[in-house]
Amino acid sequence: MGQVLDVVLSTGFLAAILGVSTPYVLAALGGLLAERAGVPNIALEGSMLTAACTGALVAGYSGSVWAGAACGIAGGALLALLLGVLHLYLGADAIIAGIGLNLLAAGATAYTVYALLGDKGGTSRLHSGALPSVRLPLIEDVPGLGAVLSGQNVLTWAALAAAPAVAWLLYRARFGFHLRAVGEHPEAARSVGIHVHRVQFRALALSGALAGAAGVFLSMGAVSFFVTGMTAGRGYIALAAVFLGALRPWGVFLAALGFGTAEALAVQLGNLDIPSQLVSAIPYAFTLVALAFFAWRRRRASRTAPASPPGLPSPHLTETP
Amino acid sequence: MTSILEPDAERQGRPETQGRREFLATRRRTALVELTMTVLTVAVAVLIAFLVVLATGKDATGALNALLTGPLERTPRIGRWLADATTLALLGLSVAIPFRARQISLGAEGQVYAGALASALVAIHLHLPPVAAVLVPLAVAALAGGALGAVPGVMKARLGANEIVATLMLNAVVVRVFDYLLTDHIKAPDSSAVQSAPVRPDSALPLLSDFFGVPLDQANIGLFGMLAVAAAVWFLLARTPLGYRIRITGSNPDFARYGGLDVPRTIEWSFVIGGALAGLAGAHLALGVYGGLQPDMAGGLAFEGIVVALLGRNNPVGVVAAALLYSYLRVGGDVMEQQTDVGSEAVTIIQAVIVLLVTARALPELVKRYLARREAR
Repeated sequence: MGQVLDVVLSTGFLAAILGVSTPYVLAALGGLLAERAGVPNIALEGSMLTAACTGALVAGYSGSVWAGAACGIAGGALLALLLGVLHLYLGADAIIAGIGLNLLAAGATAYTVYALLGDKGGTSRLHSGALPSVRLPLIEDVPGLGAVLSGQNVLTWAALAAAPAVAWLLYRARFGFHLRAVGEHPEAARSVGIHVHRVQFRALALSGALAGAAGVFLSMGAVSFFVTGMTAGRGYIALAAVFLGALRPWGVFLAALGFGTAEALAVQLGNLDIPSQLVSAIPYAFTLVALAFFAWRRRRASRTAPASPPGLPSPHLTETP
Repeated sequence: MTSILEPDAERQGRPETQGRREFLATRRRTALVELTMTVLTVAVAVLIAFLVVLATGKDATGALNALLTGPLERTPRIGRWLADATTLALLGLSVAIPFRARQISLGAEGQVYAGALASALVAIHLHLPPVAAVLVPLAVAALAGGALGAVPGVMKARLGANEIVATLMLNAVVVRVFDYLLTDHIKAPDSSAVQSAPVRPDSALPLLSDFFGVPLDQANIGLFGMLAVAAAVWFLLARTPLGYRIRITGSNPDFARYGGLDVPRTIEWSFVIGGALAGLAGAHLALGVYGGLQPDMAGGLAFEGIVVALLGRNNPVGVVAAALLYSYLRVGGDVMEQQTDVGSEAVTIIQAVIVLLVTARALPELVKRYLARREAR
């Protein structure tokens, strides 16, 4: 037990949490934007995979990690836009189209890597490089804090900045107001002159771009190459974080951080003869329980809520003779 | 189905039998259109993959040839095709039943592992009389899968919890628990690889090779079991009260509610039955294909089950046909990878295009409109 505490309280572990959480935070915030706009984006996984592959390939061939990152993020956004075309224009079910796009991303990335490099595993022979980490000259010297914050990848900082940015966008910006209106009541939004599809397309593009950044972090931050299927279901987990976070930016951020913490913990405890599979299963079991709890509370609230809006006489008052 | 009644009815010529004839004729026509659409969808998907392969400068013709004729060239490949089709059809049926109740259950992956685990544990450790040795593990697998299906089913039906998130989370938990049990507890002590001891010979599903005398690889009597299950699912959906409730709940939930159907219970049953079928698919993998437990033994199969259900229009006969068609492509993809420089990933692209074409409901409409406009010119 003492050993476990030593691991958990070490600064290296806290730094690892931030690193492991980065893709979850970015993708989950992306999923949040699409969900609030009324389009469930299950293609987060595909966006991440596309971005991870595109990023590593472009960076490898062009020699510029920034060009790779930009193309990766654009690739992620493009896949989300494809979901928009299928769902909004061609009447496809968003979930099933999303699953199809995830398959497409899995097949297309593996095929492209094999066609270009002749390697089924990934792009490790292409020296694509990684995005730089950020060193903080003054904070670096603060004991504890410096080791946690300094030296984190630039995309980890982007993830930390993305939470307040998304919160601002949703609740303070005009676009966020439109986005929520479209998601909550498209007819009402249309009746006041909001272009519902245009708003949803923009939300999807942003969603895909954030998931793209998450993918780019996997192939150009955590490591410096693409491995086929390297997202390994993280997009689906991010989607769960969207619901666990109760569709609110900070809630989603914390939920994603929770998944990251559990994964980091599982990696650390693997060395200590504690079954890492069980540790890494905890957040999913927790999400399941939380999902049931929130649903139960919502159902109970809707049952006990007054049948008429406040201000109007309640029905049983008017009905009594 | 009409051979006995039809001539007699025709002689009488009652108006209602005429209506019935028209109805049957329309239904036959619809079935024909759907069949054409399905074959067309797969053909378009294969064509797109062919063009992709061509565009990347590979041996596209050779690849297409290997993909389409490879599986029939040798009998073991036919066996692999039939074994794969058995698993995929069971998975497709397992997804199709909740789909018919308009529930998107992505829980097949977890249920497959649960079924495989439960059936293999029974089949490795229990001494049972000959026939029971096969049937008991299968029943246990169906129970395990069904119990796992009940969790998201009850959550959705009673609490309104999102079934997609619930099933995905349950998958994540079950896959990890399976992995833990296999590596830390079930792994055969004398083996260096992470895998269970082989199932007892009595419990292994008898191989078709033993009946037909030709090498058919892993194909086993599960194939006939699957056909029986498909017939049972058809009967359930078309001829039983529960099947009627499932169909009404799916096609018009409001009508079902006003009509006094117990919608929550119907939704729960659709999840439980779907889970049981996925559990049977797991048992087919454990007792028929692998003869034991292996890590990642169902990797990605659950999503392929969704493709099969979609392609088969959630109709039992369609699902079996789609599973045969789709697993043919999968085996063909492996042959293609061995014989040409094109990887089997091309098949994943075909699969993705199939899903997207099938789900894009407005697409045929757009094509029709486009053709009409060209004709008008």
